[in-house]
Amino acid sequence: MSEVVLEAVGDVLGSVQIWAVVVCCAAYGIFMGAVPGLTATMAVALFIPLAYWLDPLPALAAIVTMEACAIFAGDIPNALLRIPGTPASAAYADDAYAFTRRGEPERPLGVCLLFSATGGLLGALMLILVGHQLAKVAVLFSVAEYFWLYLLGLSCAVIVARGSVLRAVFGLLLGLLLSTVGLSAVHTQARFTFGQAELYQGINFIPAMIGLFGVSEVLRNLVTFDAPTAGEKGRKVSRAGTGLFRRCVYEPVASVVGPAASLLRRRTPHVIRSGAIGALVGMLPGAGADIGAWVSLAVSKRFSKRPEEYGQGSLEGIGDASAANSSALAATWIPALVFGIPGDSITAIVIGVLLMKNIRPGPEIFEKQTALIYSIYVVFILANLVLIPIGLLAIKLGGFVVRIPKKVLLPIILLFCVVGAYAINGSYFDVWIVLGMGLLGFGLERWGVPLGPVVLGIILGGPLEERFIQTLTGSDGSFAAFFNRPLAAALGGVCMALWISTATLALRRKKTDQA
Amino acid sequence: MTETLRHPILHALAVAACVAVCLGGCGRGGEYPDGPLVLVCPWSAGGGTDRLARQVAAQLEGELGVPVNVVNATGGAGVTGHTRGAMARPDGHTFTIMTAELSMLHWRGLTNITYRDYEPLMLINRDDAALFVKSDAPWQSIGDVKEAIQRDPRGLKASGTAQGGIWHVALAGWLVAEDLDASDVIWVSINGAAPSLQELMAGGVDMVCCSLPEAQALLDAGEIRCLGLMGAERLPTYPDIPTFREQGIDWCLGTWRGLGVPVGVPEARKARLTEAIRRVVESDEYLEFTRQAGFNPAAEGPAEFGQALAALDEQFGAILTTDAFKSVQTSRFGPMVFPGVLSGLLAATVIALLATRGAKGPAAARIDGRGMARMAMVIAWVALYVAFAEHAGFMLTAGVLLFVLLWQLEVRWYVALSVAAVVAAVVYQVFAVYLRVPLPWGTWWSG
Repeated sequence: MSEVVLEAVGDVLGSVQIWAVVVCCAAYGIFMGAVPGLTATMAVALFIPLAYWLDPLPALAAIVTMEACAIFAGDIPNALLRIPGTPASAAYADDAYAFTRRGEPERPLGVCLLFSATGGLLGALMLILVGHQLAKVAVLFSVAEYFWLYLLGLSCAVIVARGSVLRAVFGLLLGLLLSTVGLSAVHTQARFTFGQAELYQGINFIPAMIGLFGVSEVLRNLVTFDAPTAGEKGRKVSRAGTGLFRRCVYEPVASVVGPAASLLRRRTPHVIRSGAIGALVGMLPGAGADIGAWVSLAVSKRFSKRPEEYGQGSLEGIGDASAANSSALAATWIPALVFGIPGDSITAIVIGVLLMKNIRPGPEIFEKQTALIYSIYVVFILANLVLIPIGLLAIKLGGFVVRIPKKVLLPIILLFCVVGAYAINGSYFDVWIVLGMGLLGFGLERWGVPLGPVVLGIILGGPLEERFIQTLTGSDGSFAAFFNRPLAAALGGVCMALWISTATLALRRKKTDQA
Repeated sequence: MTETLRHPILHALAVAACVAVCLGGCGRGGEYPDGPLVLVCPWSAGGGTDRLARQVAAQLEGELGVPVNVVNATGGAGVTGHTRGAMARPDGHTFTIMTAELSMLHWRGLTNITYRDYEPLMLINRDDAALFVKSDAPWQSIGDVKEAIQRDPRGLKASGTAQGGIWHVALAGWLVAEDLDASDVIWVSINGAAPSLQELMAGGVDMVCCSLPEAQALLDAGEIRCLGLMGAERLPTYPDIPTFREQGIDWCLGTWRGLGVPVGVPEARKARLTEAIRRVVESDEYLEFTRQAGFNPAAEGPAEFGQALAALDEQFGAILTTDAFKSVQTSRFGPMVFPGVLSGLLAATVIALLATRGAKGPAAARIDGRGMARMAMVIAWVALYVAFAEHAGFMLTAGVLLFVLLWQLEVRWYVALSVAAVVAAVVYQVFAVYLRVPLPWGTWWSG
């Protein structure tokens, strides 16, 4: 066994090709993740024709690296421009952006980077140590369990939202209603389409997210913008008497990594908790990193000593959520490798690549392809380590964006929002969605409705309805089906407990406010 | 840094460089294909159709010498992509990977698009339906399942795709062929074969109907068992799996994938494209790919494919319009149940907000006249982009609009000009050239 492990480590670390692939794909993944509208799935899909020419291991190494780097890179526009690069980042968009508005964009990004890498490593460890056992748990989840799981994720979005619970619930329901536009997936019947063929595809959540967060922020800036204002001035640091290395390498690195590393040391148990939550949610096909991030953030807030900071710049929350979404990523490989059931669109492509290389995913893969499996594990670890220097570079480059004067930056952001929306599906309809959602987001924020629950509602509305109808169809209409499996009953109980505690907390807070 | 940006000469240089790059790209309008092709895929990235599309696209690039970009126009159970492909400009630069849903959607009243809106180029794949059960299920053959259904109608559950999808039709059609009622097995509408198989493993359904490649991993792992294949003959890769026909019931159904262009593409261009596709699907590389990925390759040219399409359309029409099938399609929990519940909850929330006097939001700065004007400007900006991008091309539209917006925000005109030119050119280069996003080149410039 240990021989195989050593051989795998040697295979990976000793190969120039793997190193080259990992470093290139890290840069590529960061770019794809950082540009709103370009996704990790797109990055991987574009890479497929190339994968044909590569050996299985470099091909898989490329995908692992892209994925790990893209999910971190989603945090960069999230923090700098309040445009989440991936839905998983939307959970802490306001937290991260709060720092940029205070002129310290590097603080949340440093935390995101280190916690993402740590979370990724934790996820990889879960995959390595208990992947086999977890896969057996994952296949126990039927539609009723998924229904509760999605509801749990949605409830978490309400819990982490800042301010009034009722307003967050309002936002959530609005998002869920928006998700019902288009062809109902479970009935395959058109709803709220008003005879417009384009509305059949419904409201795609990526343009919706770019609109709600990005365009609404551009609007807010433009509406309250007084030209000509001076651009934010970069702080001048006295640099006399320091060496070149210190000035150009050590200080920029230390300023990002230093505070984040000390936070990581202080919060080790929390990070492990978040990584575990991320991995447990991530290994369930169809749940993935988004729900992982929200659930972990909600748990983090519930047990935090400073819950009032959440939503307006809590580094603890940012750290816990970004650790969870990265850890969820590795966990999506568990059902894919063990049973050939893809957890998300990327692992679906992974299975395709494996088949293309004549490797059949399934329990046998661990016996027949032991060397390859161990090599994949090593690649997971390598990718998360390579992420740190490359991510650091990306943070430094991203820093230039905030130095551009606002009056130049805002039009460019608007163009990127439009192009990003178009890039998803090549459809002008999505461009309209971006604009519509931008206006909606602008209005909702003025009315004090948090945007996070709206986005999660749009993302999970479809699956939630599907599981709801499927459970009822399967039981021939009996609502008992939501509780008559032990696992479903347990998840349902957790959900109910969560609502009751949230409601009592909100009521108690109201009382103390009035008193 | 801002100091250096104030030199007008620098800006003039930047603009000149971008204009030169654009002009350099203008030497088009030669022989077809003289620009990137777009392959519309109605299904999402990573699925079977997408994998096939990307393989064909990658090889076609070699044959034609131009980029072939796959665009996933997903949603609406295939309506979006099939509509987009049929409505595309018939200049031979857009073609579509059509799937079996093309023969089904219009029968179910979801779209007006039929196979007649396409000119077929090549049928590239056919996969037969198959029936799977868990390995610990008591049934060993199709006959066993039939008996179980007869003993306990509506006692068994099946899935494989959404309500009314191809595998649902396959299963319901088999039941009807066996003189059973199409609704004797409850169809749980789950989108896609992978989540259906997950549900089979979790014990939520008793059987899954889907194609063999979709279930290959679990089948090879011994987690599930295949009871029969709804094809004319056994598969060379799985010679042990019997067909339905061998088990005494004459029932065949399967999915197919093929390439087509919108009606009206010039003959010469169609012939050129068909020729290139034929070379691709007959290549060893393609055959090796389909073998390893488990697809059943096919290569039926325009004439054969056209006939097949007409026959398939008739076959599906016959099944989908029968009363037996229509009754299966109506669900007790209709499409308005969920939005109804949500609307109720939303109304309750609003009432609660009003009752607790929480309806008044936080104090937000009042929007003055200039703010309103700026908002209107953004709306007009996006509208103008959508109106002109397709005709004037991305670079010109984005450049001009960026310049106007920058200028409106009182950026010095030469700074605005160079920022607009550089950003438009760089975005086009990165998105359209490297990332294969089909940003429009503009119809005014190319024929």
